[in-house]
Amino acid sequence: MAYGRFLLKRGLQGVLVVWGVVTVVFGLRFITPGNPVNAVAPLDASPELRQRIAEELGLNRPVYVQYADYIWELLHGDMGYSYISSIDASTIVLSKLPATLELAVASTVVAIVLSIPLGVVSATRRHEPADYAATSFSLVGISTPNFWLGIMLVLLLSVELNLFPTSGRAFGFYRSFELLFAEGVGAFWAAITGWLWHIALPAVTLGTYFTALVTRLTRSGMLDELGKQYVRATRAKGLPETLVRYRHALKNTLIPVVTVLGLQMGTLIGGAVITEAVFSWPGLGTTLINAINARDWPIIQGTLIVIGVGFVLVNVLVDALYAYLDPQVVE
Amino acid sequence: MADSTGPLDRLFGAVDRVRGALTVSPRTVRNLKSEYRTSALSKVGVALILVVVFMAVFAPFIAPQNPTTQNLDNGRLPPLGFTQTEQQTQTQMVNGSIQTVNTTETVNATLAHPLGTNSLGQDMLARVIYGARTSLLVGLLGTSLAALLGVSVGLTAGYYRGRVDDTLMRFADVSLAFPSLVLAIALIGVWGRASVSVPDPFVVAGVVDPVRSALGLPTPMPDTFVLPGTVIVVVGLVNWVWFARVARGEALSIREEEFVKAARALGADDARVVLRHVLPNATTPILVLATIQVASIILLESSLSFLGFSGTTLSWGFDIAQGRAYLASAWWIATVPGLAIVLTVVGINLVGDWLRDALDPGIEGEGGM
Repeated sequence: MAYGRFLLKRGLQGVLVVWGVVTVVFGLRFITPGNPVNAVAPLDASPELRQRIAEELGLNRPVYVQYADYIWELLHGDMGYSYISSIDASTIVLSKLPATLELAVASTVVAIVLSIPLGVVSATRRHEPADYAATSFSLVGISTPNFWLGIMLVLLLSVELNLFPTSGRAFGFYRSFELLFAEGVGAFWAAITGWLWHIALPAVTLGTYFTALVTRLTRSGMLDELGKQYVRATRAKGLPETLVRYRHALKNTLIPVVTVLGLQMGTLIGGAVITEAVFSWPGLGTTLINAINARDWPIIQGTLIVIGVGFVLVNVLVDALYAYLDPQVVE
Repeated sequence: MADSTGPLDRLFGAVDRVRGALTVSPRTVRNLKSEYRTSALSKVGVALILVVVFMAVFAPFIAPQNPTTQNLDNGRLPPLGFTQTEQQTQTQMVNGSIQTVNTTETVNATLAHPLGTNSLGQDMLARVIYGARTSLLVGLLGTSLAALLGVSVGLTAGYYRGRVDDTLMRFADVSLAFPSLVLAIALIGVWGRASVSVPDPFVVAGVVDPVRSALGLPTPMPDTFVLPGTVIVVVGLVNWVWFARVARGEALSIREEEFVKAARALGADDARVVLRHVLPNATTPILVLATIQVASIILLESSLSFLGFSGTTLSWGFDIAQGRAYLASAWWIATVPGLAIVLTVVGINLVGDWLRDALDPGIEGEGGM
């Protein structure tokens, strides 16, 4: 019961933050110097034409009417039309979302698979060569700008050794599955391996910072846990060391790690934006940068809202999970 | 009361209060020293930072060339120890027919450009040295702005609690929902890339040219330095929230301490209690956070310059973006400035670890790329 109440409260808080996100994004246009009509109107547009464009875009109405309209339309999934291509903004933004999600998930997988073993080894073999290797790796990992890491990977593995493509996405993950049903296993296999081949460098580029961060967190968390009384008790009870380490110490270490990962979701998405720029990955980041350079407001707003809402959603889920694992949080 | 306090007295009072807020206790100094003595890594960190600060401050004296001087004949010279082969294709008339001739030319490194040159023939070492100024200034000024905003909000929220706290912290939540880089791009996108030209004090004072001539180095050096103003404001605005969270947490616990209650009972007003009693006891975690934030703001600045959202062309991130086009022919243009970023940020992170281990403020290394 208490858990249900907690979820409800956290959910409502999330809705409030989403409302704030939408309001900030709406407000961005009003701190922008220059008239948004300029983005659409031809340079030699007559005052009448400009007036008509402003009317068409609803820019001549009072701000509160524009705001109410904006929220109303958003609730119906309507983000307006791109100033540049006249395509529905929500269609554009949502079509770019899978590419960014793929990248985010792939790099999180890379990070989790590498970092937790590294952190555990580092903590259980403190002051041994393995520990020094892991801590140096994580120090350099959190200090390296990921766009530069991406370029260096391209330089070594693509330009010099010709092992991976320098850019692009080939078939997406989902479209590969469409192929499975449309064309059979052979085409699917080709598509999915092509996808893996393309996403390898971007995923490592984006994942390295998180691998480094989680390695550090796991290491210090494990060291804390292993020094605690209950670990001594379980050892004294005669439990095998592996059980002590993994069933008890690691499990308790991972709880705060999950929270930090949730909070760092923003960093992950920010990192995805620049990783996409390095590898010409056709996701939200590339879309946002192009939209900003073209002053395409509906696309800018749509991208920011999807990113903001995604962040809130992930954090509500992480908190729900956290409260489930550690019931003390509910109180 | 008979004593009238003039504006000057009040000013001195304020200065005193700020000074009081920033005092470091002798015990803290002892902890810092003992941790420093036992940890080799903190020495490495301090050394790295000293090198970068030295480069940034004395750039006009130590740069081997003017970082903005172009020399297209000297474009893409390799760093010392490397040679570069350039293939050139020429079309020639041979016995009445057109033939293409491939010639391979070997370019050697020169001592005048120890780290090579970029595609415009600008000296890479000079650009690395001057780039340190951009990184450090943006890092320090951006962090100061973020700290000023975040600490004010955080102390207010934590001290007053209740509705003030709820409102301010919802603002923090909204701000947190946008990744720093995304929000920074959006803000720079709408505000433009304004920059400020700051005169170089050494060059203006006329001490650079004589020293360089005496050392046999080429002159003149740039007399102004471009400070990317929008970038500084924006990185401050997008990173305040980490300071707010830490300051709020500290204020929440410190306000329950006996000495705060005593100060309030003696009739101190809220401003005095916060500045004189709460803030001084919250400086340690704020300082540790600030160190880590300088590192993440330097990374953020380099990302923005890389994407072309900066107001200066003398920046490590900008140079990496330039070098991307020449990965196959001149790897060092993108590589060298990146190494400078990594070494600087490693140095700051090592110092951050040292401060954290010595002072144990109990905060996580928040912040990010």
